[in-house]
Amino acid sequence: MIQLDDNLTLTDDGTVVCTHCKTRLGETSRDPLAHAVRRERPSRDAGPGVHADPKNFTAREIVLRQFFCPGCSTVLATEIVPGDEPSFRHWHLDATASQR
Amino acid sequence: MPLIHVSGSEKFVFKERSSDDLRAIASKFVSLHTVDADAEQTIDPLTYEVIRHRLSAITDDMGDALKRMSGSVVVTDCNDFNAAIADETGNLILVGQYNMQLAASLDMAIKWTLEHRSGSPGLRPGDMFFCNDPWIGGGLHQNDASVFAPLFYDGELFAWSGAVCHQVDLGGVSPGSWSVAGTDVFWESTPVPPVKIVEGGNLRPDIEDMYLRRSRVPKLIALDLRAKLGANNVAQQRLTQLIDKYGPRVVKAVMKRMMNDAEKRLRAKLRSLPNGTWGAVAHQDSARAGDNTIYKIVLRMTKHDDKLVFDFTGTDPQVEGFINCTFAGVRGGIMPIVMTMLCNDIPWAPGGIYRCIEIISEPGTINNCTFPAGIGKASVASAWATQNAVSECVAQMVGTHPQHRKAAMSCCQGTWDLALLAGVDQRGAPFVTMLCDPMAGGLGARVDQDGVDTGGQMPIPMGRIADVEINEFSFPMLYLWRREETDSGGPGRYRGGLGGSSCFIPHDSPLQGVHLVVSAPGKALPLAPGLAGGYPSATSYDVLMRGTNVRTMLAKGFIPGNLEEIDGRHEILPSHVETDMAAADVYFTHWQGGGGYGDPLRRDPQHVAVDVASLRVSPRAASDIYGVMLKTDGTVDASTTEARRGELRRGRVDAGTA
Repeated sequence: MIQLDDNLTLTDDGTVVCTHCKTRLGETSRDPLAHAVRRERPSRDAGPGVHADPKNFTAREIVLRQFFCPGCSTVLATEIVPGDEPSFRHWHLDATASQR
Repeated sequence: MPLIHVSGSEKFVFKERSSDDLRAIASKFVSLHTVDADAEQTIDPLTYEVIRHRLSAITDDMGDALKRMSGSVVVTDCNDFNAAIADETGNLILVGQYNMQLAASLDMAIKWTLEHRSGSPGLRPGDMFFCNDPWIGGGLHQNDASVFAPLFYDGELFAWSGAVCHQVDLGGVSPGSWSVAGTDVFWESTPVPPVKIVEGGNLRPDIEDMYLRRSRVPKLIALDLRAKLGANNVAQQRLTQLIDKYGPRVVKAVMKRMMNDAEKRLRAKLRSLPNGTWGAVAHQDSARAGDNTIYKIVLRMTKHDDKLVFDFTGTDPQVEGFINCTFAGVRGGIMPIVMTMLCNDIPWAPGGIYRCIEIISEPGTINNCTFPAGIGKASVASAWATQNAVSECVAQMVGTHPQHRKAAMSCCQGTWDLALLAGVDQRGAPFVTMLCDPMAGGLGARVDQDGVDTGGQMPIPMGRIADVEINEFSFPMLYLWRREETDSGGPGRYRGGLGGSSCFIPHDSPLQGVHLVVSAPGKALPLAPGLAGGYPSATSYDVLMRGTNVRTMLAKGFIPGNLEEIDGRHEILPSHVETDMAAADVYFTHWQGGGGYGDPLRRDPQHVAVDVASLRVSPRAASDIYGVMLKTDGTVDASTTEARRGELRRGRVDAGTA
């Protein structure tokens, strides 16, 4: 197994699971978060660190986009981006943990 | 006016050539020293380490010389400069630990000079070249003015030294060369390709006059120029002494081995990491004053075996504005992250490290723009955004390794919140300066610890900020405060390091005010993302309060501690604006901190309580983001915290889509 980050573990067969509850999230060679729960909210829901309404600075909608484990609700990925833009934060590994 | 290609500008574009090709070109005019491949095998380990550390000490000495001779607070107190040593064909043997973005492209300028200047005006002992053309290299925007010098030994070109500093003003429409309304390079300081500014040890007054004539503060720029000449003189003297002692064959063999060692060790580290591809995006909101478009730099980083490929395909086209950067900016965004996060235990010899890296970047995009796109802000715009994307990808890759993961760090301060002041100082002299307080930065969170609050910036290990008193002494300004800001670090299991804010008023200028240029993206969205679910840092936030009562408050002996205590007209500033500050105006600038790491609901509640008590996190964020409820005495209320975290977790998936 490979510990990919604080929340994701890569198993020997190439499956990505939640480190905390072992829920299967996806395949490392395709979409590692295929089964994660996706949620979008206004960016100001990210907390008081987002100081001013984005409308002051842009006509585009700015969203807080997050992916959660469907088993234990741990947040797996977070980004604040234009809502009309796809996520560019894809990743995949070529090898399974056993091939490392 | 749209960007129209300028025929002939192709000459001033750096083209990668092999060392053998450069040697063949230059050796028609100058003899280049070299050693055979076997030479480095004959160096004993002790001699290797002694000379390697001596070379490192020489770049430190160059930095000391720069700081002692410069009169610019940006250099003397903030370390916005760097120094480097390269081999005979311009491969960087090492760079100093100051602003590594600046030094990452010195090799480009040296190699261009070898190719285009070896014949005429020629390379001779005692010569030095000046360059501030980022299409050629030597810096990321025109204010990064570099001076580099060939070192001759026994009649052969043995090596190069180089120094580069941020210059506070080199002309252009706006003070500080920061033309926020600019649409192309002709609004900015004119780039100067390599020119021989020192000939046979003598500073050429005609070239110096041409250079200084463009600046609003020519005496300061003249002093900085001499600081760079001095730094190169120091390097040349020390290197000559080193060669005298050990001989040219041994010293050159050590130089080659330093680069080969760095390459070999980086390749070994890369092989220990899994093959894969990581993607990232870095935004900038606004390219110039009046523009509210959001631009993106897209990166797909692929690691295969012992090689890294940075592919920026999909990045937005270059824009009419001043946020573009040249290919030097791409390198400036990559190399500092690779060195600090991947080469933390490997010698910083970029000449070897670059061999492990391939860059795919389409000319005509915002981080590989063509002439005459505006690049006045390149260093802290598209080069910085490139760095953010690189940081995110490299950190995720490194984070998969059981040992190396400790070097992974979420993105540091996502942008530079720039305030530039100009006018007449308290001594009646014209002044221009960039306020370097954002150099305090805020480091990203690590896999096992919080980011360092105002811990600086990853690409500038030796960066620092001037004391408040130094700024007040040097410029007509009076601080109300400079401090770390609550909630500015990205939430996470490990919190991003806090950013900070400065708030000041014009003070003691005969003009009763100052000119202010503001250039700070990251207001529509934060630019320092987190990792592993960690949240981004805070957004940038700049406020100009007009017609305030602050002087009355000060006269009564009261120093306001926040904007709410001040009466006046409150203007939330856009990303780019140029204006004047009157005597009664107050300016507040708040730069971003670092991104967080991991789920904030998994942060130890006791750490959140400490954060709230120390004003690092607000009670609102403690409840809404961390799910931690505190008692009136500030201690954790365990039962309500458990309930609050359960409520937040249910809300996450209930409102989401599978």
